[in-house]
Amino acid sequence: MGDTIVEPAPLKPTSEPAPGPPGNNGGSLLSVITEGVGELSVIDPEVAQKACQEVLEKVKLLHGGVAISSRGTPLELVNGDGVDSEIRCLDDPPAQIREEEDEMGATVASGTAKGARRRRQNNSAKQSWLLRLFESKLFDISMAISYLYNSKEPGVQAYIGNRLFCFRNEDVDFYLPQLLNMYIHMDEDVGDAIKPYIVHRCRQSINFSLQCALLLGAYSSDMHISTQRHSRGTKLRKLILSDELKPAHRKRELPSLSPAPDTGLSPSKRTHQRSKSDATASISLSSNLKRTASNPKVENEDEELSSSTESIDNSFSSPVRLAPEREFIKSLMAIGKRLATLPTKEQKTQRLISELSLLNHKLPARVWLPTAGFDHHVVRVPHTQAVVLNSKDKAPYLIYVEVLECENFDTTSVPARIPENRIRSTRSVENLPECGITHEQRAGSFSTVPNYDNDDEAWSVDDIGELQVELPEVHTNSCDNISQFSVDSITSQESKEPVFIAAGDIRRRLSEQLAHTPTAFKRDPEDPSAVALKEPWQEKVRRIREGSPYGHLPNWRLLSVIVKCGDDLRQELLAFQVLKQLQSIWEQERVPLWIKPYKILVISADSGMIEPVVNAVSIHQVKKQSQLSLLDYFLQEHGSYTTEAFLSAQRNFVQSCAGYCLVCYLLQVKDRHNGNILLDAEGHIIHIDFGFILSSSPRNLGFETSAFKLTTEFVDVMGGLDGDMFNYYKMLMLQGLIAARKHMDKVVQIVEIMQQGSQLPCFHGSSTIRNLKERFHMSMTEEQLQLLVEQMVDGSMRSITTKLYDGFQYLTNGIM
Amino acid sequence: MAQVEKRGGLLRKSSASKKPLKEKVVLMYDEIFMTEDPSKCSPRFWEELFLMKALGEEHPIRVVNALQTLCALIRGVHQKNKSTSGFDIINMLMGFDKAELCMKNLMESLDSLLCAEGSESLKSLCLKLLLCLVTVTDNISQNTILEYVMINSIFEAILQILSHPPSRREHGYDAVVLLALLVNYRKYESVNPYIVKLSIVDDEATLNGMGLVIAQALSEYNRQYKDKEEEHQSGFFSALTNMVGSMFIADAHEKISVQTNEAILLALYEAVHLNRNFITVLAQSHPEMGLVTTPVSPAPTTPATPLGTTPPSSDVISSVELPLDADVQTSNLLITFLKYSSIVMQDTKDEHRLHSGKLCLIILTCIAEDQYANAFLHDDNMNFRVNLHRMPMRHRKKAADKNLPCRPLVCAVLDLMVEFIVTHMMKEFPMDLYVRCIQVVHKLLCYQKKCRVRLHYTWRELWSALINLLKFLMSNETVLLAKHNIFTLALMIVNLFNMFITYGDTFLPTPSSYDELYYEIIRMHQSFDNLYSMVLRLSTNAGQWKEAASKVTHALVNIRAIINHFNPKIESYAAVNHISQLSEEQVLEVVRANYDTLTLKLQDGLDQYERYSEQHKEAAFFKELVRSISTNVRRNLAFHTLSQEVLLKEFSTIS
Repeated sequence: MGDTIVEPAPLKPTSEPAPGPPGNNGGSLLSVITEGVGELSVIDPEVAQKACQEVLEKVKLLHGGVAISSRGTPLELVNGDGVDSEIRCLDDPPAQIREEEDEMGATVASGTAKGARRRRQNNSAKQSWLLRLFESKLFDISMAISYLYNSKEPGVQAYIGNRLFCFRNEDVDFYLPQLLNMYIHMDEDVGDAIKPYIVHRCRQSINFSLQCALLLGAYSSDMHISTQRHSRGTKLRKLILSDELKPAHRKRELPSLSPAPDTGLSPSKRTHQRSKSDATASISLSSNLKRTASNPKVENEDEELSSSTESIDNSFSSPVRLAPEREFIKSLMAIGKRLATLPTKEQKTQRLISELSLLNHKLPARVWLPTAGFDHHVVRVPHTQAVVLNSKDKAPYLIYVEVLECENFDTTSVPARIPENRIRSTRSVENLPECGITHEQRAGSFSTVPNYDNDDEAWSVDDIGELQVELPEVHTNSCDNISQFSVDSITSQESKEPVFIAAGDIRRRLSEQLAHTPTAFKRDPEDPSAVALKEPWQEKVRRIREGSPYGHLPNWRLLSVIVKCGDDLRQELLAFQVLKQLQSIWEQERVPLWIKPYKILVISADSGMIEPVVNAVSIHQVKKQSQLSLLDYFLQEHGSYTTEAFLSAQRNFVQSCAGYCLVCYLLQVKDRHNGNILLDAEGHIIHIDFGFILSSSPRNLGFETSAFKLTTEFVDVMGGLDGDMFNYYKMLMLQGLIAARKHMDKVVQIVEIMQQGSQLPCFHGSSTIRNLKERFHMSMTEEQLQLLVEQMVDGSMRSITTKLYDGFQYLTNGIM
Repeated sequence: MAQVEKRGGLLRKSSASKKPLKEKVVLMYDEIFMTEDPSKCSPRFWEELFLMKALGEEHPIRVVNALQTLCALIRGVHQKNKSTSGFDIINMLMGFDKAELCMKNLMESLDSLLCAEGSESLKSLCLKLLLCLVTVTDNISQNTILEYVMINSIFEAILQILSHPPSRREHGYDAVVLLALLVNYRKYESVNPYIVKLSIVDDEATLNGMGLVIAQALSEYNRQYKDKEEEHQSGFFSALTNMVGSMFIADAHEKISVQTNEAILLALYEAVHLNRNFITVLAQSHPEMGLVTTPVSPAPTTPATPLGTTPPSSDVISSVELPLDADVQTSNLLITFLKYSSIVMQDTKDEHRLHSGKLCLIILTCIAEDQYANAFLHDDNMNFRVNLHRMPMRHRKKAADKNLPCRPLVCAVLDLMVEFIVTHMMKEFPMDLYVRCIQVVHKLLCYQKKCRVRLHYTWRELWSALINLLKFLMSNETVLLAKHNIFTLALMIVNLFNMFITYGDTFLPTPSSYDELYYEIIRMHQSFDNLYSMVLRLSTNAGQWKEAASKVTHALVNIRAIINHFNPKIESYAAVNHISQLSEEQVLEVVRANYDTLTLKLQDGLDQYERYSEQHKEAAFFKELVRSISTNVRRNLAFHTLSQEVLLKEFSTIS
């Protein structure tokens, strides 16, 4: 749910360390968390009433254009007529919702979540109770998904299908993989309930359409090929890709739009080439994508893609609106495949740079990065900044992408192309505001942001009239006046007072400046990404912005993305969802655990994109580059033990360690080596690569017996086993575990639904969900939990030395 | 007639060596150029000539004949009337009253032939005619007939050729050379539309096309040179390849010399100098040329191609798609150019190479002044291995190519400059080139200082090269002073050091590199001491060099301060510790310990430079250069127009 409208009221009291509410106050540390049984008593009817009103207002806003007149038709939940409801949902969802809202105020205070769930078994007789729950403000998207999944009642499913319309888009988006997986793999009633909402959203957003199409493809891929072809998922995917879900009225809207309101300078004469680029240029890319016989999944994917490309060619006059984006993605993937054929990192890097520079010729275009959280057009890929990431046989790579933010992707026209070197006018050496020679000015001028205001004027020199025979001299300005007499007058000592400087100062400034820039990594041809990732993000943004012809535009943004070709990111997506859920649970329960879920775009069953964690490098890289222990590295980067910077970095380290230890335990994340753990500039650790979770673990390595990775180096950074920070770490783990188990359903649900129809290794075996649930230890007292945490920590510590610790096994399997 | 043949050479072979096979039209042409008026003997001569082949007006052979006739006519008339003014020649060829219309028609026809989807041979011939027209005079600016080419621009046709890969492959070279020459017509006197137009081209496909043509010609040169070098080195191979090589390369008896190609270099210069968009093309990646081309294409050095055949080297690369060949190393025009420069600048003794070397340095100067070019030169992410050619010298071994580090491109530029500095200290001192070389280094340093780029470069090599150069200047003072003002160069070198000394904090990579600078200065203090006494001597007596020398004395103030500050400290350190010879580490230790008591003078304008300006300073050079290029192009054009028989065959079979 996460909605500001409803949430604050019931939750505030629980999360405060109040002595008042009845519950088990097991020790002072634990009092922060209370079990959620008694919480409904604190609902204030007035607050609830207000919240309902707000929801109502919002619904009105959402469907502002539609006149709502049909009041009075009572909602029939018992009516299982799904077909009918589908049509109704599409045509007139607001009316229905409005009904619900009207009743909400009256019913909200009388039901509890648990009560409703119990009564559900009594079926139709108790429907009203269920209805009351559904209509209550407690009914959030998580519950909706849960009922959609668990309910066998077509009526309930249809109702929830309708109800989806009144959740916030962002909230539903989070569960999109679950919704679509249910759509693909569950029975028809569920599918029918979901479809109207999906179709509705596809009509609204091109990005949503793309995500749906990609996910539908990816989650259908585990089906047998014969069933897949005719499956509901495949059909919906085709429907989306065929572009029939394009909003009908959009066409009429388009011509009236004023061209390029967002670009300050868009010399109209340059647009002639770009205008056709969206479709034509990108279509030519499609031939690049060759089939790889070794991978049937890809082949299958390609078949579909190529067939859809043909249709683009046929209906050239009205290009499919998803086509440019899909071609963009496809060419990024094709680059990855080609890189994989090259033997050395150096060759890969060079090839990557030159491939991207060619890709640049086709930008800007009507393409976007789906991992971004705002509407934008991609205008340029600063190709020289791209790096190949460390991988044995595949060639994942990281690119930076310059985009121009816009209000609405569909309606804003594609920005005009600005030639690469256009930057010269605004940023050229001659124009840098540094003509003086004093050191003060020197120091100051560097950070000065050049003034871009006169950009248009600066380029009015395009007029032929001003281009006289000596063209380059057009650019000369005041700086040159100085240079006229510079060389000769350098040493003329007269007229001016001589300025003296101390050699020591120069030397000192040099060492200071190098010390101030956080230790840059050395370039290593075998590890090209280390340097690029180490550079502070803000610094990188500034640098790339300065070097970009689009950099002066106010809506310029820099994004980055890792392109993975040949990797299945569906597990990563699942891990992302779980992490995100845990994060919001911990936030809600005010446990200061820190984790960093990073966005995942599943493109197919063997390709995708990842949003990189900025300002972070792997611990492996840290140790290799710095040749220091982790603690010494902390001291070097943040200062000595007592400094504020070190202490806050240490706190961050502890909070993130605790968070990820829980994640690793709950999700059984394996393959935890230092290359898969990042360290960011603030001291947080971030686990990446969730290739081995739940029921899967790497072969040949035996299994990692410890619950999570906790090395002596980590403990050293925390200040040793006896330090306060280490106790804090354990306490955080306990609080985090208690909070997580309070909301276990929300976590388990995500995993459980995705298991449907899945062949992913993480779902291997039959006990994945049961084991997951068991790891939440619902039946333990908090004292027992505390003991558990102690033992897990101890186990992880001891596994460093003995590697033969099996007490934890006993604990997990025995005590329950 | 005989005279025409000799000079123009257009019809030489067919008339001289193949007498029995002479076509009738040739015979009749011969008669025209006989001293007697042919119509005197046979009154119907002209009718006969023009009726000879009754082909339709649009028939290609007719067009070919017309174009060839025009070539011969234009060249013949010029040859005969060398001293005549351009206006008289126009009058002679067309008559003043009709000239404008005639030329308009001609240019329009050429334009449409070049742009049409027609025979490649025809297009080639059109370009030959234009090249012929452009190069008839030695001094292009005296070729008055070009006024009509200015008015009736074929610029767009040239661009079109360059922007389309197939036509670029066939005619790119001629088009680029033609453009380079046209740009130089009355460059400094009037507004040349080709200059204006070239300077505003911003179509990437066209500019890339131009870049590819240039890159190809340069890398072809590099390849040939490398082949020759290898051939020269391995006697085993030489016997075999020499035979093959001598068939195609005119002066095979020379040691390692491949004729330089100033025309293409001029084109590169004009593109870099005039068109600000072209700079981006320099960095545009393309796969290494030499590796892609099949070794079996022994193209002529001056790639004026025989008509109807393939161009000098096969251009396998389309600018849009890269081949999937894993072995191909990506390269770019700049790298190719740097390699070319390293070869050309090795030996500056003959005039062509001197010209080429100078032009290379001028192009580098333009690049070093350009912000965008600097940005990618210094881009830490764009690392390349650049195999520069190094002159084999007694005291050093040829560096193994394989061990070259992958570095930002600016390192290769600096390497090239260092290489030049250390290899040209000779009696025939190329002062002008040295000045340009130091300027390039200075401009790069200015950029680094301004943008705080901390380049990990072995600055020590540069420092010691510069000090050695100073030593050379001093030891050859008398010889050099007779010809050059050596103080300008000395001042520039000293100021480079001043740049490092006073602004080192802004661009040196590490604190220890600053220490090393001091170490190097202290180590070589004798050279600076000598320089100081020399300039002091010359600035105190009232000679010709008084002023120039006194500037150097003032510029030396900081270097002398450093020497005077540290030397006593080092001596006392040695005395206290009873060491006769201090190690580098010990000296550095003394240096580090004694910075704080040293005061330096901040000198003005160290980071300022005069921007390159062609019109004011280089006009004479370019006039001379264009003259030599014109002669060269004309010469090679004449040789190849012979194979037009091939062309005639092509068309007669088609029709």
